[in-house]
Amino acid sequence: MKRYVWGRIIRAIVSVFIVTVITMVMIYTLIPRELIFKTDPVYVKLGGKDDERTQYRYNTYEKLGYVDYVEQKDMCTSYAGGSYDACMAVDSADIQSILPKYEQQGYTVQQFKSGLYYAYRDVPLANQIVSFFRNIIQIDYPGKITDPDNPDMKRGLYVAADYNGVPAIQCVGCKYKYQWYLSASFPWIRTNAIHISLGQSYPSYAYQEIMDVLNSTQGTEKKVDETFETGYQAKSSLILHSCQYKQTATLDRLDKNKFSDNYANCATQKNDPSMVGMSMKIGIIALLIAYLIAIPAGMGMASHKDKFGDKIGTVYINFMIAVPSLAFIFFGWSLGTSVFHLPSAFPVLGAHDVRSYILPVLILALLNTSGIMLWTRRYMIDQASSDYVKFARAKGLSQREIFTRHIMRNAIIPIAQSIPANVILTISGAVLTETVFAIPGTGKLLPDAITDHNNQMIVALTIIYTSLSILSVLLGDLLITKLDPRIQLEEKSGGVQ
Amino acid sequence: MMESADSKFRLVKMDDTASEHINAPKYSYWAAVFKKFLSKKSTIVIMVIALTVIFLSVFDPIISGYDPVVHQNINNASMKFLHPSLKYLFGTNDLGDNLWNVVWMGARNSLGIAFMATAITTTLGVVVGAVWGYSKSMDKWMLEIYNIVANVPFTLVVFVLMYVMGRGIWQLIFAMSVTSWLNTAYFIRVQVLIIRDREYNLASRCLGTSTWNIVKNNILPYLISVIVTSVSRDVPSFISMEVFLAWLGIGVGEKTPSLGKTISGNRTFMTNTPYLFWIPVAVSAVITISLYVAGQSLADAADPRTHM
Amino acid sequence: MSENNNPILQASDIVVQFQVRSRMLTAIRNVSVDLYEDETLAIVGESGSGKSVFTKTFTGMLETNGSVPQGKVMFEGQNLLDIKDDAGWEKIRGRKIATIFQDPMTSLNPIIPIGRQITEVIEKHQGKSPSEAKKEAIELMNDVGIYNAEKRFDEYPFQYSGGMRQRIVIAIALACHPKILICDEPTTALDVTIQAQIIRLIKDLQKQYNYTIIFITHDLGVVANVADRVAVMYAGQIIEIGKVEEIFYDPKHPYTWGLLSSLPQLGIKGEPLYAIHGTPPSLYDKIKGDAFAPRNPYAMQIDFEEEPPMFKVTDTHYAKTWLLDPRAPKVVPPVQVSTLHERMKQVLTAEEEQMHE
Repeated sequence: MKRYVWGRIIRAIVSVFIVTVITMVMIYTLIPRELIFKTDPVYVKLGGKDDERTQYRYNTYEKLGYVDYVEQKDMCTSYAGGSYDACMAVDSADIQSILPKYEQQGYTVQQFKSGLYYAYRDVPLANQIVSFFRNIIQIDYPGKITDPDNPDMKRGLYVAADYNGVPAIQCVGCKYKYQWYLSASFPWIRTNAIHISLGQSYPSYAYQEIMDVLNSTQGTEKKVDETFETGYQAKSSLILHSCQYKQTATLDRLDKNKFSDNYANCATQKNDPSMVGMSMKIGIIALLIAYLIAIPAGMGMASHKDKFGDKIGTVYINFMIAVPSLAFIFFGWSLGTSVFHLPSAFPVLGAHDVRSYILPVLILALLNTSGIMLWTRRYMIDQASSDYVKFARAKGLSQREIFTRHIMRNAIIPIAQSIPANVILTISGAVLTETVFAIPGTGKLLPDAITDHNNQMIVALTIIYTSLSILSVLLGDLLITKLDPRIQLEEKSGGVQ
Repeated sequence: MMESADSKFRLVKMDDTASEHINAPKYSYWAAVFKKFLSKKSTIVIMVIALTVIFLSVFDPIISGYDPVVHQNINNASMKFLHPSLKYLFGTNDLGDNLWNVVWMGARNSLGIAFMATAITTTLGVVVGAVWGYSKSMDKWMLEIYNIVANVPFTLVVFVLMYVMGRGIWQLIFAMSVTSWLNTAYFIRVQVLIIRDREYNLASRCLGTSTWNIVKNNILPYLISVIVTSVSRDVPSFISMEVFLAWLGIGVGEKTPSLGKTISGNRTFMTNTPYLFWIPVAVSAVITISLYVAGQSLADAADPRTHM
Repeated sequence: MSENNNPILQASDIVVQFQVRSRMLTAIRNVSVDLYEDETLAIVGESGSGKSVFTKTFTGMLETNGSVPQGKVMFEGQNLLDIKDDAGWEKIRGRKIATIFQDPMTSLNPIIPIGRQITEVIEKHQGKSPSEAKKEAIELMNDVGIYNAEKRFDEYPFQYSGGMRQRIVIAIALACHPKILICDEPTTALDVTIQAQIIRLIKDLQKQYNYTIIFITHDLGVVANVADRVAVMYAGQIIEIGKVEEIFYDPKHPYTWGLLSSLPQLGIKGEPLYAIHGTPPSLYDKIKGDAFAPRNPYAMQIDFEEEPPMFKVTDTHYAKTWLLDPRAPKVVPPVQVSTLHERMKQVLTAEEEQMHE
C-alpha cells in the first residue's frame, strides 16, 4: 500500500509539473508581453514620456525575470577602460567600444531619445521555467543576507525567548528572525525556515509574493497594544514573528524605536480573513449545509422511488442542473436583496457582519445540492436492488434496519470518495459567487488575473489548483479504503471500479 | 366432468413443432423507445418548448434582419428602453434594439456553439472511448494519460486557453471541446468495458455473429442510452459555460452577440429597467431546462430496463 | 424418515401472476401442497416451472409486479397471504420461515464482518445481548463447520471461499431457529464436491435444530440424496408428488419419466443421451388441457382438451395425468425408468469399486 501511495504521489508531481510547464509555455509565447501594462496605473501615467516608459518597461521585465537589462550607466560602471563620466557622455567613444561586446552576448542594443544606450536580452523560456521551479522551495539559512553596512554580524542560530517569552529558534543572518517558533493556534509549531514562493504578482498587488497575496489577512489594520523589545510602547499591527532583515541603510527612526536589530520588516495583521480564509470559510459552511440537505433528501427520494417526493426532487435536480449557475445566483441575489433586504454586495457590510455571508453561503450550498442528491439517490437505488438486500429481507430484518445498516453503509462509500475533493477545492473558491457578490476570496483571483494579464498569478494559480485537485482525489481514494474492506489499492490495471 | 368419449383416450402422434412456438410478447427496441418517450404528457410539452426555442433561434435572426453591428435606432431616443408591450414583446434596450431580436440572435449563437462543441466532444469521445474500451493494449497507456490530464480543473484550462487564444466563437468551441472530450471518452470506455465481456456478447461471438451485428444489436442500443444522457447534459452545460465566460469578459468576440454577453451587459440595468436583464436570463433558463429534460426523457426511454 | 403427523403448512389453490410489459404472466396455476413437520420436501422442475416463485409466496418475497389473486397459505393458524405489510412479514421471515438463496457470493453484505451478519439476526429475533449473541454465533459457526470460528468472526465475506460463505448463510438462516427452511437451489453455484458437503450439513443440522426443509432444485441426483418427499413442477403446477421411493421407482407422469430418463448417470456408453423434446409452454396465454401435452410422447386427444385432475396412486402418491384414468390405455414407462433401480445399483457399485482401486 505504501508503494502505491508513493507511486500516486510521484505521478501527481509529474502531472503538476507537466501542466505547469505547458501553461507557462503557452502564456509566455502566445501572449504579447506589453499587455501586462494595460492596467498598471504607473505605466499609464507615463504616457507621452517615451524614455521613462521604456525604462519602466524594461525594468519591470527584468524584475519579472523576462529579460536581462543593462543601461549605459551599468555598462559604464563596470567599464575599466576609462572614467565613468567620460563613458556616460552621449555617443562617447567608450560606449561605442563596449556595445559590440554586449551584442556578441546576444543583447539587442537600442538608444533612448536622450541618446543614452540601453540593451536587453530575452531570458530563454527554459531558463525561466527552471528558475521558477528552483525558487518554489526557499530555505532560509544564516548565510542568506549580505548587508554592506553590517559585514561582521554574528551569523548563526540560537535559542532564546521570543517576544511572548516563549522559547524559539532565532537567527542572525537569515532572512527571517524567527526560524522555528510556537504559536497559540493551529498549527502550533511554525517555521520560517522553509518558504514556498510561487513568484510575484504583477500588475495587481505589484511585486508582492503571490503566496502572501493569498494568505495574508485583508482589510483594515488590527492594532493592539504592543511593548517592543526596546521598551517602546505603541499601538501596532505588526506580526512580530514575521520580521525580515532590513538593510541597515534603509532602517529609519521608527524602526530603531521598535527594534534593537535589523529585523524590522514585518508583515501587518489585518482584520479581515485572508483570501484563502474567506473562500474556505464560505465554501466549507456551504458544503456542510449542502450535505445536510442533499444526503437525506437523496435517501428520501430513493426510498420513495417514483412517488410524489421523488418526482418533486427530480424536478428540483433537473432545474438546478439545467439552469446556468449564473442565472440562479442572480435569482437568489435579487430575491435576497429585495425581499429580505440582505446586503447586495459583500463589502457593503464587510467581513464581520453575519448578514454579508447569508446570501452567498446559501446560494453556494443550493448550487451544490443537486449533484449530491442525484448521486445519493442513484447509489441508494443500486444498493437496494442487490442480492444481499434480498437476503437481509429474507432473514427478517425490518425495512428500516436494512436501510440504515446495509444500504446506507454501502452507498456512502462512493459518496465519501468525493468529500475530500469538495472540501479541498473550497480553497480555490467559487468563481461565480465571489464575482457576483464581490467577495475578496481566491475565486475572484483567476478571472481578475486574466483581465489584468497577471501572468505570474495565472501560472501560480494553475499550479495550486492542479495540486489541490490531485491531492484531493488521492485522499478520496485513501478514504474509501478505510470504509470498504474489499478495496486494496494496488497498481490499478484499468479494471472497472 | 369426465363425459369424454373413450375415443379421446387414444394415443396421439406427437407434433414435433408444436412445442417450439414462442409466445412471449413481441418486442421491438426502437418501437418501445418511441412509445415510452411519448407516453408522458409532460415530456411532450417539454419537447414542444425545446423545439419552439430552437425554431425561434434559427429563424428569427433571418426574418427580422437584425444587425448586431449597425444599430438602426441608436440615435433615436424614443426607441430606447421601451418596456415590453404587444408591439415589442421583450421591449427595447439601451441602443434602441428590439430585445426580442437581440435575444434570439444571441440564443442562436449560444445554441450553435453548444451544439457544435457537443457534437465534436461526443464524436471524438465515442470513437476514442469505444476503441479504448475494446483494446486492452490501448487501455494501458491511455489510462496513464487520462490520470495525468483528468486532474487538471476543467475551468482552469478553459480560462487559460481562452486567455491565450483570445476571444471568438471558434476559440470558444475549441477550448470547450478540448477539455470535455476526454471525459466523454472515459465514460464511454467504462461502459464498453462493462458490456464487452458480458455473457450475451461472448455467446453471440461463439455463435459466429459478425462483429458488426454484435455492435449494432447488442452494444449500440446500450450505448445509445448512455450517449443521449451525455449529450443531454453537455448541451446545457456548454450554454452555462458560455454565459459564465461572457460574464467574466472572455468568450465570444466583441462583435458577436450571445446570451451570456447580453446577460452580463444588461446587469447594470437591473435596478431601473429590470426586464432588460431578467428576460435574457429567463430565456437562457428555459432553453437549458427544456433541452436537458427532453434529453433525460429520451435517455430514460432508450434504457431497455424501463421498457417493462 | 418423515413423520406424517400434522401438516405445519398448508397451501391451497395458489395462483400467482406477474404484470410484464402490459401482459399478464400466470406463473403458478392453482397449486396445493401440504408440508409436514420435520420432513424434507424437494420441489423439482426445470427453469421457469415456478418452483422459486411458489415458495416466495410463503415469505412475501414476490417481486413488485407479482400478485397472488387466489389461494391460502395456512401456517400456525394464520393465512400468510393476509399479511399486507412488511411489519407483518417480519414476524414470519427468518423467525418462522427462513430462506437460503442460490448464490452465496452475493447473499452477504461485502462490507460488514461475517460475525455481525449473524449476530444481528440473533439480537433481533431472540432479543439477546451482543455478547450472548456473539457466543451463540460462534457456536453456530462451529456447527456449520467453520474452522477457527473465534478468529474468523471478524473477517469479511471476501476472505471466505464460496463453500464457506454458503455455510455462513446456512448459519444465519438457522440463527433464528426457524420452523421451515427454504433452500432455493443452494448448491447450484458450488463445486460438486462442496455440494455434497453442504447437503450433508443441511440434513445433519435438521436433526439438531428440528426444522422442515423445502429443497428446490433441478438436479434429480441431489433429490435422491436429500428428500423424503418429492413434488415435480411443470409450467406452474405440481404434476406429481409422492415419497422419494415412489417417485423414483414408480413414477406415473410422462414428464417425470422424461426427467428420470435424462439422468446422465444412467447414460449408456456409445448411445445418445435421452432428452425431452421441445420447450415449456408460454405462461402468458391460458393453457388448454395438459400443459405437457405438446411434448408428451404418450399424449392422448383428451390431453389437448381438458386439464387432468390429481389422481391418487397411494395415500402419499398423486399424479396429474390422464394416463391414470381407468379409460386410458395401459402404458409402460420407458425402459430407463423401469430399470432405474437396477441401473442405479450398477452405477453405484461401479463407483465404489473404482474408489477402492
